[in-house]
Amino acid sequence: MVKIICDSTADVTSELAQKYGITTVPLNIHFGNEAYRDRVDLTAEEFYKKLVESKVHPSTSAPAPGLFVEAYKKLSKETNEILVITISGGISATAESAIQAKGIVGDIVKIEVIDSLQTIGGELLLVIKAAEAAESGAKLAEITALVKDAIPRVHSYMVFDTLEYLQKGGRIGKAQAWLGGLLKFNPILTLKNGVIHPVTRAWGREQSIDALVGLIKAIPKLEGLVIEDATTPDELEILADRLSEIYPKGKMYRSRVSPAIGVHVGPHVLAALALEGK
Amino acid sequence: MVDIVSYGGQEFRNMFAAGSSWLEKSVPDVNAINVFPVPDGDTGTNMFLTLKATMEEADRARSENVSIMAKAMAQGALMGARGNSGVILSQFFRGLAKGLDNQEQLTGKDWAEALSEASRIAYKGLSQPVEGTMLTVIRDASTAALVAAQADPEDLVKVASAAVDAARESVARTPMLLPVLREAGVVDAGGQGIYILLEGMFRYLKGEVDEMQYRKPQLVTADLPGGSRMAEMSAEREDPYGYCTNFLLEGHKLNPDKIRKKLESKGQSLVVVGDEHIIRVHIHTYDPGGIIQYATVLGTLHQLQIQNMDDQHVGFMEMQHEKQQPLDIAVVAVAAGSGMKEVFKSLGSAAVVFGGQTMNPSVQEILEAVDAVPSQRVIVLPNNKNIVLTASQVQALTAKEVVIIPTKTVPQGIAALIAFSYEGTLEENRKLMEDALASVKTVEVTRAVRDVQINGLKIEKGQAIGIIDDKDIVAAGNGDTEVLFEAIGKACADSVRVVTIYYGADVGAPQAEQVAQKMRDMYLGRQVETVFGNQPHYSYIVSLE
Repeated sequence: MVKIICDSTADVTSELAQKYGITTVPLNIHFGNEAYRDRVDLTAEEFYKKLVESKVHPSTSAPAPGLFVEAYKKLSKETNEILVITISGGISATAESAIQAKGIVGDIVKIEVIDSLQTIGGELLLVIKAAEAAESGAKLAEITALVKDAIPRVHSYMVFDTLEYLQKGGRIGKAQAWLGGLLKFNPILTLKNGVIHPVTRAWGREQSIDALVGLIKAIPKLEGLVIEDATTPDELEILADRLSEIYPKGKMYRSRVSPAIGVHVGPHVLAALALEGK
Repeated sequence: MVDIVSYGGQEFRNMFAAGSSWLEKSVPDVNAINVFPVPDGDTGTNMFLTLKATMEEADRARSENVSIMAKAMAQGALMGARGNSGVILSQFFRGLAKGLDNQEQLTGKDWAEALSEASRIAYKGLSQPVEGTMLTVIRDASTAALVAAQADPEDLVKVASAAVDAARESVARTPMLLPVLREAGVVDAGGQGIYILLEGMFRYLKGEVDEMQYRKPQLVTADLPGGSRMAEMSAEREDPYGYCTNFLLEGHKLNPDKIRKKLESKGQSLVVVGDEHIIRVHIHTYDPGGIIQYATVLGTLHQLQIQNMDDQHVGFMEMQHEKQQPLDIAVVAVAAGSGMKEVFKSLGSAAVVFGGQTMNPSVQEILEAVDAVPSQRVIVLPNNKNIVLTASQVQALTAKEVVIIPTKTVPQGIAALIAFSYEGTLEENRKLMEDALASVKTVEVTRAVRDVQINGLKIEKGQAIGIIDDKDIVAAGNGDTEVLFEAIGKACADSVRVVTIYYGADVGAPQAEQVAQKMRDMYLGRQVETVFGNQPHYSYIVSLE
C-alpha cells in the first residue's frame, strides 16, 4: 500500500494519522535560541500560551532533509511507494527539503513529492484524499494524479484578527496592502497559487464568521470541508453549526491550526477550507 | 601564510569553523536583506544554525581524514538544515563530501573539484533552481576555483582566493539575475552568506585568525548601474530640498536678466523667462519669503505656488510605488480631514479627493483622480449626498470603466471599501459594496447653520445637532457630547456590534476616549473604537455596524 507523508502544518489529527497510517514530519519553531519541533516538543496549548507571553517573536523553518530521509528509510521497510504532500513552496522550503531527501535515498523506494500550494486544512483535505485512495489500493501514479487534480479545487479562507504576525514572519504576500490600517477590521485571506492573497474584510468576529460562511456557501459543490481554530473552540462550534446548513456536521473535519502556522497567523485565526466537488 | 600546502581533517574542520564564526558576525545583516524566496528575514540565522549543526557533527568526528570529516559535516547539515538556505547548504555539504570521497588530505585541486561537485549537487537537488541566488554564487566560485587549480593544483590558498573573488562578484551581480532583488535594491541574502563563509575560510587559510576576532565581514552591495536603489534613496533623503517656488510676475519695464542675476544666489534650478511685461519665475530655495518680498517690489504676483519639496518627494515615491503595482480595480474616495484620508488610504484607496459637506469637489477634481489611478476600472466613493451627483458625471468624461457607489456618509464609504473583494469583478464589487451600505448606520454631530424647527425640535443657529444617516435630525442641544449620546440612543439597535467614533479637528483625543469609554459601559459587549478623523465641521462621525 502507498504510504502517505505530510508535514505538521497539515494539521492531521492523531485519530486520522492512526486511521490511515499517515506519517507527519514536523517543521521547526524557534523562540530565539530555543528550537522546538512542531507538535512534537510543543503542544498547541503550550505554544499559543508562549506565543502571547514570549518577548521574542518566534520564527519557523522547514524540516531538515534528514528528517525526510529517516521517514523514507523507515517506510521503505513496509512499502515500495511513498507520496509526500507538503505545505506550499510559496511560504516554506519543506517541499525542497523533501525533494532533496528523495535524491539522497535514491532508488530504495519510489517517492513522489507534491507541493500542495496550501497548508493547514487545505493540505489536510488533499492528504485525506490521498490516504483514502491508498487504502482502496490505488497505486502511486494514480494517487499523484488524483491529488494534483484536486489542488486547484481547494478553497481556503482564514479570518485574522491582525496581520502583524504575518508581517513579522515575512509571509504577508499580497495582503501587504492591508497593513498599517487605522481600523480594527478582520482581514480574510486565502492562499492562491501558494501565496497569500487578500479576499475581503469584516467588522468584528461575528461578521467574520458570516463572511466565512458566505464564502463557503458560494462554492457550487462541496466534496470535503475542514474547519479550524487556534484558541477559540466556541467560535469553531458556531462555525460548524452555521455550515451544517450546507454540509453534514458529521462529515466535517475539525482541527486546530498547528503552532508552525500559528507563528504567522496569531492565536485568533479561524479557518474554513473546502474541496470543491467536480 | 600558513606554511603547509595540504591539509588534514582537523584543518579542514578549522577552516569551516572559522568561516562559520565569520558568518555569525553578519547574521543580522544577512537577515536584513532577505527578500527571496520569502522575505522572512531569517536567511542569516538559518544558515548559521545549519552551520552550527554541521560543525557539531564535525567536532564529534575528530578525524585527521578529510573525507571522513566532510562526510560527518554533510550528515550534520542534513539533519540540522534550517529553512531554504539551510536546505541548499546541506546539499552543498553533501556535494563537498562526495567530491572529497577517499581524500585523506586537501589540496587546491581537491577543493576546486569538491566545490564543483557541491555546485552540481546543489543545483540537482532543487526542483526549480533559481539564478541570482546562492546557487549561482556557489557555481561561479567553483568555476573560478577550477581555473585557479589548473594553474596551481597544490596551492589551496590560491584556489580559495579565486573562489572568494568570484563569489564576491557573483553576489554583486545577483540583482541583475533576479528581479525581486533588483526591485528591493539588495543582493541575494543566501549568496551573501555563502560569500562570507568562503571569505572567512580563506582568511583562516591566510592565517588571519587573530585579526578576524576584532573585525567584521564586509558586505557585498548590489552592482547595479547607478548603485542600489536603497543607496539612492538614502542619498536623496539626505539632500534637503527646500521649497519649489513658482510664480508669474507682471509689471512694467521688467528686466529678466537683472532678476535672474539677483536670484541666482538664492537657490537652485532657477528659471527666469519672459519680457518686460510678464516674467515666469521658478526656483528651489530655502527662503521663499525673501524671493516673494523681492518680487512684490517689482510688480504683481500671479499663480503663486510654494511647495515643500520633501512633500513632493514623498508624493513621488508614493506614485512610484503605485506605478509598480497596477491595480485590477482602483478605488477613489472623497473625504475631508487628514485622519479620514489616512483611513481610506490604509483600506486600499488608490486616491483620496479632498472634499465633503460644504466643500464639494468639482467634477474636474474627481475626474483627475479617476484618470490618475493605475487601473482601467475605477470605483468611486463620494461619501456625501451632494457629491454622488457630481461623481456620476465623471462616467461620461473618462475612457475608464467607472462605477459610483452612492455612499452618502463616510462610514458608508468605509463599510463599502471594507467589503471590497480583491477577487471580484467590477460588477461583483458593485453588488458587494452596495450591500455593505445597508449594514452600517451613521450618526453625525455638527452645528446648525441657522434657526430651524424640524422633527419637533427647535434648533437655534450654532447649536449642536445629531443626524442619522445624513437625513434625520434627531437631537439638538448645546453640548456635542450630549447630542451625540441622544442621537446614538435613537440609532443604536441591538444588532450593532462595532461602534467606530471618528472625532473631528476640534475634539481632543482624551475627550473622544471618554466618550468611547462611556459608550462601552452603556452598550456592553460591543466593540467601541476611536479614530482621529480630523474632519472639519463634524465633531463626531460615528459608524454603527
